[in-house]
Amino acid sequence: MESTTFSLGSIVLLAPVVLFIAIAVPLLFSLRVSEVWVTKFTKIAISIGLISLIAIIVVGSSRASLPLILSFGNWVDLQPSQSHFQFRLEFVFDVLSITFGLLTLVLCGVIGTFAANYLHREPGFHRFFLLFAMFLMGMIVATFAATIESLFLGWELVGLSSALLVAFFHERVAPVENGLRVWSVYRISDAAFLVAAVALHGASTQGEFVNLTGSESWPSGESGLTLGQASFVGLMLIIAAAGKSALIPFSGWLPRAMEGPTPSSAVFYGALSVHLGAYLLLRIESVLDQVWWLSALLVMLGLGTTVFATIAGRVQSDIKSALALASLTQVGLIATEIGFGFRYLALAHIVGHAFLRTLQLLRAPSLLRDFHGWEHAIGTRISNSAQRLEAFLPSSVSTAVYRWAIERGYLDRLIDSGIVRPFIGFFQRCDIVERSWIEFLSGQTQGESDQAQLPFEGIEEL
Amino acid sequence: MHSEPDNRRNLVALRERINRAADYLPAQGPISVFVHHNTLHAFESQNFFDALRAASQIYGCQPLLSEDEYRSEMAAGRIAKLDIEHALIEDLGERDDELIEFLGTRFGLRYAMLENPIRSAPLAELRWLISETDALSKFRPEVAAEIKAQSIYLTRRWILGEISNPPHDQSRRIAAVEELLKRIGDGSPEAWPKSRWESFTLQLIWRACNQGVHALPRFQDGATTAIRHRDWLHAATGQDIDRPIHDVLGRYCAAFLDQGLAHWPLPFRDEGFFQSFIQNYSVARISPNQSLRGLGSALRQLQQQQMDPLQSIAESLDCLGVHEKEQEPFLAATLLALRGWAGMIHQMETRGDRVARAAPLGSLVEFLAIRLILERVALTNMARDSIGYTGPLAELRRMLRSVGRRRDDASVTSRAFLVFQLAQLRGWTPESMFRLNKSQWSKLLFEMESFSGFERRKVFQLALERNYRQQVLDGLVAHTNLSWLPRSKATRPQPDAKLSHPSFQIVTCIDDRCESLRRHLEEVDPACETFGVAGFFAVPMYYQGAGDAYFVPLCPIVVTPTNFVREEVTAQWKEQHELRANARRQLGRRSHSLHRISRTTLGGIVSAFLGPFASVPLVARVLFPRPTAWIRRRFGSLLLPPGATELTLLRIADAPGPSSEQLGFSLVEMVDNVERLLRDIGLTHTFARLVVVCGHGSSSLNNPHESAYNCGACGGGRGGPNARAITQMANDPRVRVALESHGMRIPADTVFVAAYHNTCNDRIEIMDEPSIPQSHANELSTFMPTMREALAFNAQERCRRFESAELSIAPGDAIKHVDERAEDLAQTRPEYNHATNAVCFVGRRSRTRGLFLDRRCFLVSYDPRYDDEESAIVTRILQAVIPVCAGINLEYYFSRVDVAGFGCGTKLPHNVTSLIGVMDGAASDLRTGLAAQMTEIHDPLRLLVIVETTPLAFLGIMKRNPAIQRLTENGWVQLATLDPESAEIHVLRNKQFVRHQVESRELPQVATSRKWYRGWRGNLGLAHISQGISADPTAR
Repeated sequence: MESTTFSLGSIVLLAPVVLFIAIAVPLLFSLRVSEVWVTKFTKIAISIGLISLIAIIVVGSSRASLPLILSFGNWVDLQPSQSHFQFRLEFVFDVLSITFGLLTLVLCGVIGTFAANYLHREPGFHRFFLLFAMFLMGMIVATFAATIESLFLGWELVGLSSALLVAFFHERVAPVENGLRVWSVYRISDAAFLVAAVALHGASTQGEFVNLTGSESWPSGESGLTLGQASFVGLMLIIAAAGKSALIPFSGWLPRAMEGPTPSSAVFYGALSVHLGAYLLLRIESVLDQVWWLSALLVMLGLGTTVFATIAGRVQSDIKSALALASLTQVGLIATEIGFGFRYLALAHIVGHAFLRTLQLLRAPSLLRDFHGWEHAIGTRISNSAQRLEAFLPSSVSTAVYRWAIERGYLDRLIDSGIVRPFIGFFQRCDIVERSWIEFLSGQTQGESDQAQLPFEGIEEL
Repeated sequence: MHSEPDNRRNLVALRERINRAADYLPAQGPISVFVHHNTLHAFESQNFFDALRAASQIYGCQPLLSEDEYRSEMAAGRIAKLDIEHALIEDLGERDDELIEFLGTRFGLRYAMLENPIRSAPLAELRWLISETDALSKFRPEVAAEIKAQSIYLTRRWILGEISNPPHDQSRRIAAVEELLKRIGDGSPEAWPKSRWESFTLQLIWRACNQGVHALPRFQDGATTAIRHRDWLHAATGQDIDRPIHDVLGRYCAAFLDQGLAHWPLPFRDEGFFQSFIQNYSVARISPNQSLRGLGSALRQLQQQQMDPLQSIAESLDCLGVHEKEQEPFLAATLLALRGWAGMIHQMETRGDRVARAAPLGSLVEFLAIRLILERVALTNMARDSIGYTGPLAELRRMLRSVGRRRDDASVTSRAFLVFQLAQLRGWTPESMFRLNKSQWSKLLFEMESFSGFERRKVFQLALERNYRQQVLDGLVAHTNLSWLPRSKATRPQPDAKLSHPSFQIVTCIDDRCESLRRHLEEVDPACETFGVAGFFAVPMYYQGAGDAYFVPLCPIVVTPTNFVREEVTAQWKEQHELRANARRQLGRRSHSLHRISRTTLGGIVSAFLGPFASVPLVARVLFPRPTAWIRRRFGSLLLPPGATELTLLRIADAPGPSSEQLGFSLVEMVDNVERLLRDIGLTHTFARLVVVCGHGSSSLNNPHESAYNCGACGGGRGGPNARAITQMANDPRVRVALESHGMRIPADTVFVAAYHNTCNDRIEIMDEPSIPQSHANELSTFMPTMREALAFNAQERCRRFESAELSIAPGDAIKHVDERAEDLAQTRPEYNHATNAVCFVGRRSRTRGLFLDRRCFLVSYDPRYDDEESAIVTRILQAVIPVCAGINLEYYFSRVDVAGFGCGTKLPHNVTSLIGVMDGAASDLRTGLAAQMTEIHDPLRLLVIVETTPLAFLGIMKRNPAIQRLTENGWVQLATLDPESAEIHVLRNKQFVRHQVESRELPQVATSRKWYRGWRGNLGLAHISQGISADPTAR
């Protein structure tokens, strides 16, 4: 029966949406829902989603109705003479999305339970769970998306919730700054994504992946685009994926993202968010098959990221940065595997890595205890001077490499001076020109708002 | 040019200034050995509140709760009006009934300012308040109805009088009134309705206030605390040089202090901070960030000049134009900008014995030298980028002073608003206000402004402390009258009298967490006796367990142990032990390399293939913490050192040391330890057959602060081994023989038993059980159920503080609940530790037995009857107890009043760094102090130390002990004495003992503790627990 699988699929998709609304609406009206209820909502929604997804696998594989396509109709359908434009809300349940969806739901379930205890009595408890629900919704939408627009919708929700959770402790400067940095990098990747979506529409009027991947189910699809179209769309999507998965040169944001509460760092940057770029690449694998140099580019990005992260990871002296860079080594490897065409390996790698890293990040505060435990078991103090490859390098080279590593490859510095400053400089110049024109035209100096002072904070005097 | 010796002398002076500035740095060492200490240790020579005032400026942190918080305490009844009155009188001293113009006494004025919130707001908000709200048309709701009515009435009389009979004397006419009347101008005032008069009165008052405060000078010189160039630049441009500097410096400090977290240690670390930084960064062609352009060349220059760090500091100060006079505050402010890291460097150079990799002496100076170089580079760049300044840095501050905009706090509107609010509250009429001349206004305003926010909060703090102090002291008096005096009179015991024997005796730590355990033990078995003594049980030692890699000190931080003790596996278990140790070693190596490899590229193989298996522990530990912990313990125990171990206590060699012949104590040392312990607690006769010595510690998961939950008297360690050592000593026949010659006879049938209490999961463990003689098996088998029952009640009492536990939880479920807390990875509050601590009682247990003290009291056993003329015993007790307990209490105090400033903020984003501490999130200063999750339920009260002695004796102790004198006289602790013979209490105030006046003779009486605490989350008052009173009236 189609209707069974259809309704199960709808439940998987709707459960996070309902959860988000259930948390958001009372907050909107300043109603206090107790911590206990928020936790219950979250657990119930995730359990229902998970059970339905498992049911789809059982029902679907017994009836061989996978991959399952769920269509929620055309939301935009323009048919002027030439440029036909359609925006379909469509979802697909195939091997790839079901695996990734299972991973998402299991990890979010675990993290939700963890966070309920961890964030107990935290003033931002509700805000955390709201963003968490938004993230879950984004992940589910992006995972099961069958059109590029739906994927973009999920992608944006994930990006927004990630950036806001990095800035969770907004009473301090660093989280807000780093949240903004994450957000800015995401914007670059979003822009690339959007260009790709437009290009795909231009090429085929629709945003369905079928155009990219052919009608065969994953991973044996074939792209229906011309070589030129495929190259451009593929390149843009690789840029988008690189931003989301912190491949070089965007890697700098990942260690900076460790500002939120530990569970959010774990699920976002150890497990799900950081793999979303790789997931996108898996979705468009047929394009990579079609354009060899895109695969080569991806392999280079992946290997470069792995080398960078390995070296930088060796010198980090705090556990969360070390784990963030450790994640990056694996994300780089996964990208490489995708570039080489090892699709199933990459998928297995994502799943394994996500679980391992989440556990490690959740246990990050245990490091001291673990360390003393190992010392007692081994019977001596653990020294970090043993087994060092660096010892074989000449001193001047080794110092330079060390400095490069501790400054995290100067990647942020390069982005700042190579992209941000020219960008800001350009618009500042525009601003100056605009002002001088207005002053010239109006014949008076203006800018009352420039003189406004920051309001004095109502803090207690010392 | 200075001459050579002149230069050297300057450098020596500079080093001394740096040393003095370094005193302000946080004194917290590596986090795995957490020692509580007074956060403001550098200020102890000052009076408490003077220190608060000074420290809040230096650290930029809140020294007291906010006024709103105090007001909510007031609303909740924890500050009564009476408390405020008393606190105000105490604060004002002689000056309370001075009259201020016509406006009443100073007391009255200040009381009005305390009773009602005095609001101040930014100018924009004030303007909005005045023009858009009903501030000028309705009296404040707090104003008493009769005052309001009278104000309006008098104004009305006055205005109507003026209109019908205008004064001829031009000078008596008030322009503002006439102008206002003209402006309103409708109808005759005689016909105005009531509301019209109300708003008219307020408008007049507002005008009078504005007119009055106009052009009055500032009373307090708005002396800015800005001293660093950074502060000036930040105020002028919003640019903060500290951000780019800390980005580099924080990371570098972490790498420099790293104890083994990074795989690749810092190159040139052995050459010290200064040299290694130069070597690492001088060759760089690219600067770490935009604001540090030119760092490489600055360092290369330093390298060429071959300056040592101190010379470099002198040069930097010169270059920045910092004169000798302001050097010390400048250096302090510079060090405090990154106080966590600077403090840790200082700790690692001065207390290097506590870590594996110490920092060489002089590291702080080197750090400072590098920091100043970075500041110079950043200032040069940012001053140029933001304001185009390219002149010498020495002139930068002067330049900024001239351009910098300053906030004018004393604007007319905000001053007028202050008077306006008080005028309403105190019922001052417009007429009288208009009649004041400038000098009267000046005096009035001065009076109000000198009762600043800090002064108001100080009075609130005094009131809050008074409220609880009164409760405790009144309770103690009532309790004494109720139960102790009648009994002690009935059978005044003689030291050598034949007395009945208690069922068992237990010696616990003085810890506030043991208060409830002792109380419940006494309730479960009223025939038992309990004692409290600092939890290292007079055995200071370096200890190495059978499964440990190295020795750790187990004693208060102020003591440096000389003796070493190792736990050895007994002969018949040796083989098993070797096997297990081997297995542990293998497993340890494997899991350590897994930890390392999983973070590298090779980890790809691991994670791709083994990763899915990580889902099992992940899901199990988060969703089912208790069963998972049980399974882990089961398997873990297969690898632990086998059960039968013993301590090597009797030393063979003469001198103590870590080698195997040098381990342990000499017989004389053992006798001393045992005698000291027993004499301290007054247990010198009437021994029970079973004497349990119970150490404590706490275990929790995923908690970098775990050590802070352990025994404070063991320097953040666990007190089990100390309990074990002292019982082995006390059971030793040779020791007993020697003790007898010292006049202390321990009966042959008395057996000492060691136990360990885990305060987190409330489990008890008896140690060396096989060595307990068969003859005492009976005692032990009756003791254990008693203890377990008491622990279950203890867990239940603790659970009432945990929001996630039901208030109606049963004792059995409470044990399960606290057990789960200890095993849950996601639990940030495994227990509440010392939170709510407020009292320290030093005296006989019989004085407090049966008194519900709500786990807020350190209980130290001391029997004044056996002390000598010089109070030698109580002196040596107080020498340790006052600094240790005050350290705990004050650390809680400061972390509570400003958890982000003095404490380490919330635990949620904490990030373990360099294996020595935690940062907030990805990168920040090293965070010291206590976390919000530890202090959230704490009431910031200074410790009330009550000593069972006479005021005279205590004055003698103070005279002989400057350390005790400093803490008590300067008000870092509150002190009271309880007379050993009666219920008389004296409180130390202004260096004199004043007799305590009882306000409430009532003390609630209940049968058991649980009847008192059931169903209540917050703090509870004292109560008389009848079941806790000893069955034996002669008990100590």
